[in-house]
Amino acid sequence: MKSQRLLLCLSIALVCCTRSFSQWMEISDVTFRREATEMAGPKIIIEYDLKDPNVSQALPAYVFVRYSRDSGKSWQLVTMDSLQGNGFDIVERPGHKQITWWGTAETSFSDANQVRVRVRGIAMARVPAGKFFMKSLPGGGHDDSKEITPEPELAQFYMARCETTVSMYADYLNEAGGYGAGWNARMANADRCGIVQNEDKTYRVEPGRANYPVAYVSWYDAADFLRWCGLRLPTEAEWEKALRGGIYLDGDEAKKKLNPKPERRYPWGDESPDEGGVFRCNFDGEADGFAYTSPVGSFSKFSSPYGICDLAGNMAEWTLDWYSTSFHAGLDGFRMVRGGSWMAVPAACDAITGATQLPLKESSIMGFRGVRVPRPLN
Amino acid sequence: MKPLNRREFMKGSIGAAAMFTAFSQATVRGANEKVIMGVMGLGGRGTQLAEWFAMRPDVEIAYLCDPDTRRFARAREAVEEAQNKRTTLVQDFRKILDDSRVDAVVNATPDHWHGLGTIMACQAGKDVYVEKPMSHNVWEGRKMIEAARKYKRVVQVGMQSRSAPYTKKAKEYIESGKLGDVYVVRVFNMMQHAKQKAVADQPVPEGFDYDIWCGPAPKLPYNPSHRWLNQWEYSCGPIPGDAVHQLDLARYLLNDIPYPKAVSHAGGVCSLKDGRETPDTQLALFDYGALTLMLEAALWTPYMTKTPTALRDKDRFPNWSFNGTRVEVLGTEGFMHYGRHGDGWQAYDAQGELVRSEYGRQADKEHQDNFIECIRTRKKATADVEIGHQTALLCHMANISYRVGNQRLEFDPQTQTFTNNDQANKFLKREYRAPWIVPETV
Repeated sequence: MKSQRLLLCLSIALVCCTRSFSQWMEISDVTFRREATEMAGPKIIIEYDLKDPNVSQALPAYVFVRYSRDSGKSWQLVTMDSLQGNGFDIVERPGHKQITWWGTAETSFSDANQVRVRVRGIAMARVPAGKFFMKSLPGGGHDDSKEITPEPELAQFYMARCETTVSMYADYLNEAGGYGAGWNARMANADRCGIVQNEDKTYRVEPGRANYPVAYVSWYDAADFLRWCGLRLPTEAEWEKALRGGIYLDGDEAKKKLNPKPERRYPWGDESPDEGGVFRCNFDGEADGFAYTSPVGSFSKFSSPYGICDLAGNMAEWTLDWYSTSFHAGLDGFRMVRGGSWMAVPAACDAITGATQLPLKESSIMGFRGVRVPRPLN
Repeated sequence: MKPLNRREFMKGSIGAAAMFTAFSQATVRGANEKVIMGVMGLGGRGTQLAEWFAMRPDVEIAYLCDPDTRRFARAREAVEEAQNKRTTLVQDFRKILDDSRVDAVVNATPDHWHGLGTIMACQAGKDVYVEKPMSHNVWEGRKMIEAARKYKRVVQVGMQSRSAPYTKKAKEYIESGKLGDVYVVRVFNMMQHAKQKAVADQPVPEGFDYDIWCGPAPKLPYNPSHRWLNQWEYSCGPIPGDAVHQLDLARYLLNDIPYPKAVSHAGGVCSLKDGRETPDTQLALFDYGALTLMLEAALWTPYMTKTPTALRDKDRFPNWSFNGTRVEVLGTEGFMHYGRHGDGWQAYDAQGELVRSEYGRQADKEHQDNFIECIRTRKKATADVEIGHQTALLCHMANISYRVGNQRLEFDPQTQTFTNNDQANKFLKREYRAPWIVPETV
């Protein structure tokens, strides 16, 4: 057909206002247009600007796209396999970005006017492949038959630099929370969280709360949010490596940058969180400057070697791992939670302390962050 | 119809014992009515008990106690959210006992602290809710009874299935004679545990008072890969520690049969050869004269399971053949399957036909209600300390029989000693580490 032979430029400019996505990365001037191709079906070109000058190989953005074909009533994640270009998944440079979205079922919209696209980015940190010292006894992981190795090896992965914030989670609720799953009344507490449900079942963030970590999320809430982004929860091993760093900070392939403290107790080293009157993370009490949670990144001076914040203190974080049922058969179905919290003693904010928790538990001291593990090339 | 969202679906899937419980949360609590409590032991069970009691309008949790300060936050968060009031965190439970405002103590420590913890609490004038198995050894169980009686304390043992209405109905069914004469009861405790993975001994972590954690037990080198449950010094063993529920139910169903005359034991460490002391296979016969109670237990049987949490407290029966915690009652005219976790019970006639079914619900709330009520009425609790001792005794007898080489042991209920094996009698009492000593006179 003629229309398929011609390059159709349907410019549907959808400017995603960065203000409503605070704590997502700054992504602006999003446009998208549909173009026909001769043989491969229609393609969608999405363009945007990623302005943050700090985006780099070590601190990339994870960019994901969600689309709606019914004017924003329902949304779906665009699978990374359908995408080409320089602006999706792990993005290592700022600037103008272009994504080409291939597909037939997804992109053959019956009514292009009903199509919406949202592009979001999460600030990540790269954890290069290689060995690290695992000093905890993990709860059981996925495979009880595997022996604990003191120097396990992990493939390269990326972890969110910050805990998932109130504003990010509220954005997810507004898009995906139509039936009320994912929100509970305790989230309205402005001291601990700060997401209020409006009468029309949309959600708003209490003033001043946007940059605080989201609380009262069950394991299922966390897993669902991350699935919505195209991410997942970290394993205990990933979490611990992100905190302590690998034996080589630039990974086992490069092996140029030895970790000065490969067995450190805390992200910053071995000093206690309050040693010398300096407060290095958010733990119990107000002396650290925060009675309850702190805005993410408040202690960024004391991040992990990869620039990941708040692994120690602030929120305890859900992991992907189960607690092994080997030691007490009553704890079937428990998940492992890592890192201390704003309510924990300083010693509990270390690299090895884990707690077991029922996955349905919604708590003012538990939050989460996501990881992206790229598919191996071979 | 609108599909259930995830939260609604999960709510419907969880029974009374889990997150969204039937506890009402009054906004105003009469200050004069509240029972003031402290909880010692903030592991999984202790945290759960603390949260449940904190949700009650008639209870205030004034203290949470654990030697390991790293355990504080999880329990504190749950309690302060539930009761909307702060609680005090301590490492030394004596601070709870010294506080005259405190009415009762919940003891959810590892087994080795159940005895002395309960006795000291009684001496301090506190009522006690102590988790099962009640005692670490036979002698200290007797001392716990003495202390409770002497100081006129309510001591409830955490064998909550005893408080379940469906359990009472099962007992009544058996009493009515519909099963005929009962000569054999089988108690199962079968599931899959994994091997411990050994690491080297480690320095004691900061913030953990390991000395008080060890308490009356020897202070073995700290090694987080050695689970207390698998060590005789701290535990009654992973099998008896769990089977005690079913053993107690079996006794209850038969109108609290008292002391057995003898115990035989077969088994040992068959599969989980990871350096553990406690057996992973225990087959015990308790000879009550007219009746035999059989314990069939193993920790290497993956096809046998406890009822998954999400399936408990429902109008359904488990797949009995593969239910790892069931009780079977065999009579001359009929047979009964009874399930522990709110699994209900089913009775069959002489032809093997199903003639009666009764659904069940777990009874944590009823058991806690009973404890609080007895604190006010001063009546004996449903799982009173003496009942707890008679059940824990079965655990100890099975273990001792194993530890003297799977020997048949004959038991004198008057002296509560073995009459045919002196070596076995050495296991009736432990060596207590000063200053944590259970005295002869409590």
